[in-house]
Amino acid sequence: MHILVVEDEVKVAQALKEGLEREAYEVSVAASGEEGYYLLDAASFDLVILDLMLPGRGGLEILATLRGRDRGIPVLILTARDAVQDRVVGLDTGADDYLVKPFAFPELLARIRALLRRGRVELPMRLSVGDLEMDVDGRRVTRSGRVLELTSREFKLLEYLLRNRGRVVSREMLARDVWQETTRATPLDNVIDVHIARLRRKVDDGFAAKLIQTVRGVGFIVNEASA
Amino acid sequence: MRLSPRHVRTRLTLWYVGVLSGVLALYIAATLLLFQVFLRRQLDDSLRAEFERVEDLIEVAPDGTIAMGGHGNDDEPGPLLEVWSTDGKRLYRSEGSELGGPAPGIPTEWSLSSAVLSDGTRVRVLARSLRVGDRAVIVRIALSEEPSRHEWRELLLGLLFALPVAVAIAGLGGYWLVRRALRPLDHMARHAERLSADNLGERLPIDNPDDELGQLARVFNLSFARIEESFGQLRRFTADASHELRTPLTAIRAVGEVALQGQQDPQRYRDAIGSMLEEVDRLSRLVGSLLVLSRADAGPALGRQQTALLGLVRESVALLEILADEKGQRIDVKGDADVFAAVDGLILRQALINLIDNAIQYSPHGASIRVDVRRSAAREAVIEVADEGPGIPEADRSRVFERFYRLDKARSRQQGGAGLGLSIALWAVQAHGGRIEVWSEEGKGSAFRILLPEESVGGAPALGG
Repeated sequence: MHILVVEDEVKVAQALKEGLEREAYEVSVAASGEEGYYLLDAASFDLVILDLMLPGRGGLEILATLRGRDRGIPVLILTARDAVQDRVVGLDTGADDYLVKPFAFPELLARIRALLRRGRVELPMRLSVGDLEMDVDGRRVTRSGRVLELTSREFKLLEYLLRNRGRVVSREMLARDVWQETTRATPLDNVIDVHIARLRRKVDDGFAAKLIQTVRGVGFIVNEASA
Repeated sequence: MRLSPRHVRTRLTLWYVGVLSGVLALYIAATLLLFQVFLRRQLDDSLRAEFERVEDLIEVAPDGTIAMGGHGNDDEPGPLLEVWSTDGKRLYRSEGSELGGPAPGIPTEWSLSSAVLSDGTRVRVLARSLRVGDRAVIVRIALSEEPSRHEWRELLLGLLFALPVAVAIAGLGGYWLVRRALRPLDHMARHAERLSADNLGERLPIDNPDDELGQLARVFNLSFARIEESFGQLRRFTADASHELRTPLTAIRAVGEVALQGQQDPQRYRDAIGSMLEEVDRLSRLVGSLLVLSRADAGPALGRQQTALLGLVRESVALLEILADEKGQRIDVKGDADVFAAVDGLILRQALINLIDNAIQYSPHGASIRVDVRRSAAREAVIEVADEGPGIPEADRSRVFERFYRLDKARSRQQGGAGLGLSIALWAVQAHGGRIEVWSEEGKGSAFRILLPEESVGGAPALGG
């Protein structure tokens, strides 16, 4: 999978390149609109990550030209302006998704995965990690065969974590995908933390292997972890 | 000459002088006209008197000629006198200039007209038919207009000389008066010019609070006070904002620098980076909140829809209930399910969430929090959030909505937010044209009351939207 990153901020571009390469993507970086334009002509890409605020040719201009050629490459735009108007313009111009700076890297990865698998979604109804098993349809969760009593919110939370098994899930992602909140206010972060703490108590208490872990400063991860 | 002079006083004076000149000119013209009429009437009266005198002196000689008895022997040049026959022959003429002109027609009554003699003298002529003996004759008498024209011209000259003098005196006086009246304005302007961030506390002196200038000064002073107030707020805000931004930055820097000192094991590095990321997260959220508020200052666009407020309250409570549960608190929601208002649910919800979260944070373990939805007597929609916290000291009540204002200075940033919650709540309510009232009793608790105005209340629920 070949990803083009059009981003003029060197540090951000470098971090994106390294991070994405670690996830086994092939990454090209363009530091300006012109360069991005040139690269898009020269090679074929599976996905474009486009900063909207670029020197020279702006991101929206590139996007418009790209869409004018009717190419179905998924485009994810990055913007420092999160005013609704800006998002709408971006999406109207033909972007497939957007992220507001500063964004959490796990979230970027999740968006990229979603864009790349677009069209072929298959959500398994049975999820598991280690000795934890979830039957999504039957709304049943067991660990080592013992049934766990979860509230519906806890169930959704655990389902989301399991679907992203092995990957870090940020609080932003939880706020948006599990709580369906558009703004992430301080109270909501506390709410998320309390729910995670309670879920962890139900899932991990009494077991040596702790499945739900906190990645400090980033978020949470469900893993078949070490003790 | 410039069409619009720079100073009001010059403009006022010019207008004044212009109007005064116009009025005086009209006055002079009217005076001259009246005087002229008066002079002519006087002349005409003299002519009639003359005619009556002459009437008795005309004699018909036996040869048919006309003679003037007793006439011509006094020295002063009398009026010109002519006697004509009705068939157009001149029968008699006094000495002096000829009246000239065609033979007069037969006048029926007093006939008065003006004429110019061959030597250029203007005269007033009276013609009248007269029966002398058995003959009908026409008598013409003329008097010079020159003396009265001379009088008239003298009056004209006098008035024309007096006009500019009068206007000049009035103009100077007017200018002086206007200047005197406007002097306080000059003073105010200079004061406002001098006004800067450093002397915002200064006020204009008010000599007479009841006259126009006094009122103006009062209005100025009120504006100055408001400017000073917003300056103060802005100043506090900037200081607070830089403090709030600097604190996480300091932590990031310190943690990073310490982590780089000497060799550490990977776990220590992980901790350091994680800790830095936590601070970054806090910074991001802070910047996010500030963005919300700055956009709010620009006036947000609301997507209003008829909403049942109780439903909105239950939703917000459901979200935060777990936080209360952690502290063993109870949230009691009650109220009127029929209270509808046209609100932007997402935005009003931010206010509710912040108020309820506040109540949870400030109430002690095991307390209960009351949320109440009702309609006031003034038909406003009321949402009240009451806690059992420590209460807010009187002095702080007006300031709790200020950005970054924290009641409990010792309270760490970990527990509370950045002190923007109530600011955001207030903004969200004000965006709907509403207000928030605070009630508090120290040691007993506080209540925040959202009041939404009547125009956003009631009405049939809108379709779609």
